[in-house]
Amino acid sequence: MEVLLATGIGALTAAGIYLALRSRTFELVLGLTLISYAVNLFIFAMGRPVTGRAPILRDGLPPTLANYADPLPQALVLTAIVISFAMTAVLIVISLKLRAASGGDHVDGADGKRAGEDP
Amino acid sequence: MNASPLPLLGAFALPWLAALALFALPNERRNAAAAIAGGAALLAVVLLATLGPAVFAGAVPRVSWPWLPLADADFGLRADGLAWTFAMLVTGIGALVVLYARYYLSDSDPMARFYAFFMVFMGAMLGVVLADNLLLLVAFWELTSISSFLLIGYWQGRADARQGARLSLTITALGGLALFAGVLLLGEIVGSFSLDAVLAAGETVRAHRWYAPALLLILLGAFAKSAQFPLHFWLPQAMAAPTPVSAYLHSATLVKAGVFLIARLHPTLAGSELWFYVVSLTGLATLAVGAYVAVFQHDLKGLLAYSTISHLGLITLLFGLSTPLATVAGVFHILNHATFKASLFMAAGIIDHEAGSRDMRLLNGLWKYMPVTAVLAIIASSAMAGVPLLNGFLSKEMFFAETLGLDAHPILAIAIPLLATVAAAFSVAYSVRFIHDVFWNGEPKGLPRRPHEPPFWMLVPVGALALLCLLVGILPAITIGSLLALAATPVVGGTLPEYSLAIWHGFNLPLLMSVIALGVGTVFYLMLQRLFRLHDLIHLPRGGREVFDLAVSAAVRGARALTEALVNGSLQRSVFLITLGSLLVAGWMVFGSGRPDHVGRVMPLAAHPLAWALWLIALVALAALLTRHRERLEALVYLGVIGLVVSLTFGGLSAPDLLLTQLLVEVASILLLLLALHFLPLQSARTDAPRRRWRDAAVALGAGVGVSAIVHAVLSRPKPDSLAPWFLENAVPGAFGTNAVNVILVDFRGLDTLGEITVLGLAAVIVAALLPRARGLPEVEPGGDRSLMLELTSRAMLPLVSLVAIWFFLRGHNLPGGGFIGGLVLAIGLLLPYLGSGTAWVERRSLPSFEAWIGWGLACATVTGLVSLALGYPFLTSTYFAPVLPVVDKVSIASAMFFDLGVFLTVAGAAMLALTRLGRLSGPEPGAEAR
Amino acid sequence: MRPVSGLLPHLAVLPIVAPLLAGAALLLLRRQAAAARAISMLSLLLLLAMAVTLVGYTAGGATLSYALGNWPAPFGIATAVDRLTAMMLTVSSVMGIACQLAADGRASLRFPALLQFQLAGLNGAFLTADLFNLFVFFEVLLAASYALLLDLQSPARLRPGLHYVTVNLLGSSLFLIAAALFYGVAGTLNLADLDVRLQALPAADLELARIAGLLLLVVFAIKAAALPLGLWLPGTYGAAPAHVAALFAIMTKVGVYSIARVHGALFAAPTPGGPAGEPLAGLALPWLLPAGLATLLLGAAGALAARDLRVLVAWLVIGSAGTLLTALGLGSPAATAAAFYYLPHSTFAAGAAFLVVERIARARAAPAAPDEPHYLVSEAERVRDAAWVGALFFAAALAIAGLPPGSGFIGKALLLDAAAAAPARAWVFVIVLLGSLVTLVALARAASTVFWKPMARASASAETLAEAGPSGPAPIPGRGLTAATVLLLGGGLAMVVLARPLFDFLLRAAGALVGA
Repeated sequence: MEVLLATGIGALTAAGIYLALRSRTFELVLGLTLISYAVNLFIFAMGRPVTGRAPILRDGLPPTLANYADPLPQALVLTAIVISFAMTAVLIVISLKLRAASGGDHVDGADGKRAGEDP
Repeated sequence: MNASPLPLLGAFALPWLAALALFALPNERRNAAAAIAGGAALLAVVLLATLGPAVFAGAVPRVSWPWLPLADADFGLRADGLAWTFAMLVTGIGALVVLYARYYLSDSDPMARFYAFFMVFMGAMLGVVLADNLLLLVAFWELTSISSFLLIGYWQGRADARQGARLSLTITALGGLALFAGVLLLGEIVGSFSLDAVLAAGETVRAHRWYAPALLLILLGAFAKSAQFPLHFWLPQAMAAPTPVSAYLHSATLVKAGVFLIARLHPTLAGSELWFYVVSLTGLATLAVGAYVAVFQHDLKGLLAYSTISHLGLITLLFGLSTPLATVAGVFHILNHATFKASLFMAAGIIDHEAGSRDMRLLNGLWKYMPVTAVLAIIASSAMAGVPLLNGFLSKEMFFAETLGLDAHPILAIAIPLLATVAAAFSVAYSVRFIHDVFWNGEPKGLPRRPHEPPFWMLVPVGALALLCLLVGILPAITIGSLLALAATPVVGGTLPEYSLAIWHGFNLPLLMSVIALGVGTVFYLMLQRLFRLHDLIHLPRGGREVFDLAVSAAVRGARALTEALVNGSLQRSVFLITLGSLLVAGWMVFGSGRPDHVGRVMPLAAHPLAWALWLIALVALAALLTRHRERLEALVYLGVIGLVVSLTFGGLSAPDLLLTQLLVEVASILLLLLALHFLPLQSARTDAPRRRWRDAAVALGAGVGVSAIVHAVLSRPKPDSLAPWFLENAVPGAFGTNAVNVILVDFRGLDTLGEITVLGLAAVIVAALLPRARGLPEVEPGGDRSLMLELTSRAMLPLVSLVAIWFFLRGHNLPGGGFIGGLVLAIGLLLPYLGSGTAWVERRSLPSFEAWIGWGLACATVTGLVSLALGYPFLTSTYFAPVLPVVDKVSIASAMFFDLGVFLTVAGAAMLALTRLGRLSGPEPGAEAR
Repeated sequence: MRPVSGLLPHLAVLPIVAPLLAGAALLLLRRQAAAARAISMLSLLLLLAMAVTLVGYTAGGATLSYALGNWPAPFGIATAVDRLTAMMLTVSSVMGIACQLAADGRASLRFPALLQFQLAGLNGAFLTADLFNLFVFFEVLLAASYALLLDLQSPARLRPGLHYVTVNLLGSSLFLIAAALFYGVAGTLNLADLDVRLQALPAADLELARIAGLLLLVVFAIKAAALPLGLWLPGTYGAAPAHVAALFAIMTKVGVYSIARVHGALFAAPTPGGPAGEPLAGLALPWLLPAGLATLLLGAAGALAARDLRVLVAWLVIGSAGTLLTALGLGSPAATAAAFYYLPHSTFAAGAAFLVVERIARARAAPAAPDEPHYLVSEAERVRDAAWVGALFFAAALAIAGLPPGSGFIGKALLLDAAAAAPARAWVFVIVLLGSLVTLVALARAASTVFWKPMARASASAETLAEAGPSGPAPIPGRGLTAATVLLLGGGLAMVVLARPLFDFLLRAAGALVGA
């Protein structure tokens, strides 16, 4: 399990960074989305995930870590998911506007020419 | 005995107050401006004079307030003999120059502003001489640089004025920073910045290992200010200033600040080999170079500027020799030079003013046009040449005497007196040239106007100073004796040596040197006249300034190259550097600390075959995404698959809330990206070079491996005792919810959630701001993802979806769900119909402004939190009551649920605002667009 | 559950809640511009009052710690107020007031609401004592800053916006990884608790804790625009509208503050007399000092190279961040206190500079096209009412270049005095002073080109006379800008006059933080 989780997160991270390093806004968004998946899993993993112990308290089952998964990382992930989603949405809209304004979808400006500093 | 500090304070404050008044004064009020400035200066002189008796009696008037939180760095003034004498010099000559400037400046020059700058400078200069601790001195030192920048650049229209101002500011500021550093070191050595402490600590300082750096830094500051070779070149450039400025700054005050500092710290710093060689050799070089170059100037002010450099060199040399008598002579020459040089500058200004030129090749035979000016100028320049019966002669005699019989290296022992005599000869030569060229030597050549005497009040200051030259020169003991003693005592440190201020010391070597200098100098001038036709001989100083200009432009070019190479507006570079940076610091720890430790110490958790399958699918999808990401629609499919796997992972590892949320976010993001693809190219162009892709792949891989390593390292460790158990134990008794995760979100860590929904709301606001109701983007043909089927189903779904949303919301506190999930469900429920038939349809459902939803949501959540304050509990404290509602079986309503309601509203509002605004982009009816 | 008595304790959270509520309200009535401005200013003044109260309260050494939801720390989220927090709250509210003053007709209808959210985020970051909560408030202040940057429909701001958002998204991911890793090894998120648990960490886990700490350092360095992570800043700040750029002057300081707060708390420099074998002590220092010095130099070079006045000021912001990191990198209480003095100074100075530049640019606009400000240094447009604008620029320049009587002079004096005891003193002295020299040259060049060169064309003196006198041309619209500039410059001046009490205050703050 540990291996799966670790390698999985690693693979997501690597792929995400690689795509984020591409020069197109679309790939950038893909990459950042993957990175956020990886990060969410990472946070989750820090709570030492277990199977079949959802932190929904049930009567008669004493509220200890023996019976329930660590709820805190889950709560953190929920917050993180929402925030990264919001930011990704912003990023997408910016890139749309950028395309409309500059006619290109290169992160540094319309294809070919570099936009050094904007006027 | 001690004196009342009030006069001291008043004298210091007056120029500043005058400056304030002058800044307020309109420039037309010429006489008022002059009156304010002159009055302030005169009053300052008077106030200082009232301190005279006390100071002569050996008292040191002082006043001080606590200021800087450093060792004894108070804001304090202190008027010992040296300081008092200089203060008199600064204010006295200042008053004369103010009078002179009133008639010098033309009607078109903004008079009030001139005097305002002038007063600021005078105040700063007073601060330098009166400061009672070194940091304060440095502060005022910098202020003199800044205010002289304004004064030199006063004629803003002239390019040479701008350059001269910039040049002098840069050089003197450079010196100022060096001085700053040196003073800080000195303060560290002494343990105090107070002048008294520093002056008392000479032994300690010279013994300290920081002595050399401190000394050199301080000297650099002084030399830059006093235009010592090789930093002298800014002074001639500063001649672009109006002549009153030159007369004040470049003869009596600004440049004197350097030698003043040398004198001030003489007791502390002098008395070492290093001091002797650095100071005296610098002085010697400056003396010689300045005198030599001065001879070949054609501009009156140029000649005076280089002669000033030369005389400052002389003074520096004297302090370098550092014998008691030399020190006295140094102080003496400071005073003498101030008088005759100030008057000479003003005379030159008069000539410029009334004859319309400063070029000695044109100015000739002015004697018959302006005899009075001529007489005064002749007196002053004779003093400069060191002619007997004038003050310059006396200090020069003492100087010659001190150059003799040094117990230094034999070569120096010969070279110093020799060079001194030669330099003296040169100074005679240029003095003679000044007199002869300007007042005789034929007729004026093509002057713009016919020369004539200036207005009377322009002559008064010159006359006053010339008179001083005579008086001191003839009756030194009476006129200057006690003052000199007063000023020199603190410099010598201890008791003054025996010396007699007399014109006649009998036939001795110094007298011989003077005679030689006078004779040789005159002959030299006449020879130059004859043989080399001096006036045609063009000889301009090269080096300093050119080097400086090159340095500055090189610096600018270098800076441009550097920054443009570094900051090339490439986002990929930033991303790359951030990744690399994190990789480095993390890697450093792992490999640097030589104890990598990832051994599993807990039994690994067996992986369910299904998990393997999911993992495999994810990897395949990732690979596909990486290879095919240019086919964008296809890429979205892979992304969806990956997201699905992630959600299922959460589900499989007992995180149902995450499963739900991740799924919904997943759907929302994919929809967003689908929309985006209406407006983005469906394929990505290949632009990155293969090398680059490999580089990126390497870094990405590194980061991936790093993260995997960390995750594995953590998972293979036992869980530390954490906060977790507490949350489980307190969820029901404390927060009345069985869903520990949701309870944490809305109660235990409610503040996180409050921030989170704020972010969400802001994101929606940004989207709305970027996509206003007016169309922001070109009309684009809607994609093919709009089928009648979907349309019908989605419309049918709307009510259902809303119900589901509310259900999720209500059960959230106890079972997977909650405000966020509910809100998102609602939003997506409303989004689907849009996918079917465009936002217009959604809007016809007459929903309130979604931006308002966000506002209400945030307000609701915040106010819920505030209620508890009224009850005397901290923000976000929850209370509990449990009605039983139909439909949803048992609901336990904590006040946290109103908080959660706020979440619900904000999330729904934000999501719908964003999605409808996006939808409008591809909305079908132009009508919807226009609205 | 013990109830809280009195209002004072709530001051540990109200600086977040008040602007949040105001922001929500302003979202609802953003159509009434006048009312919105009034509400916004009211909330800002309230914030200032609270901050000043807290300064007075903490001056004596008292601190506030507040358990949100009345849940005991470390389980619930706690906020805390000490001297440093109180000072930061004061700075943020002053900047907010200046920003609201400066925002004139050119600001959008949403601006007041966004400003409030911005301040909520900033104050949250200053107040919180919880690592993950710090992340959340970072996101709030970032989201608000995106909104402020992109609010006005300007194509020129899209690309800087894209870069800014992307860089910060990466930063946030790193932040999450670091915070989660801390939870993974130490099992807590509360900073004080984390400090305790880290001390007791088994040796085998130290390395992971170090990694977490350094990743966190990278995050804060990105925010602080430290070399080489700050390349995004000049473009972004240079493109922002003046009143927003002025507010952004405090954003880099948040990064610096967080380093001081988090790394100061978790990885304080090993105290000479303190317990030996603190395995994590001074973790960040070896990275901070070189990074700070390099950043300082780059900032100065950029200022010298800049062709656009706004970009010039943006580079100066980087330079000041470098100075701050240098001071923190020295690690001693005195140096830390110097950093705390330099922080508000540089914030005020940079803010004022951004506003003055806008004022200049508008004053250089051709009378024909008053709405086209000229930002390029070398444009030879004449500056209308140059005397007044020039004086403001001059004052701001003195402050930034660290020349007397500007507050920067004292800041540098304090920093260098603290550095004189450090082993790296030579480096610090040379680079800091070189940096100020280059900055001075850059500013003098810009000023003489902007203000003096145009005089060369017309007959200079006549014009200067005309515009200095009351009979000059009509003043440029921008009263708000001027007022805000004067406010910020006044703040700097107050720091000069009150240097001693202020520094004593900060010295104790530093002592409490890094343990003197």
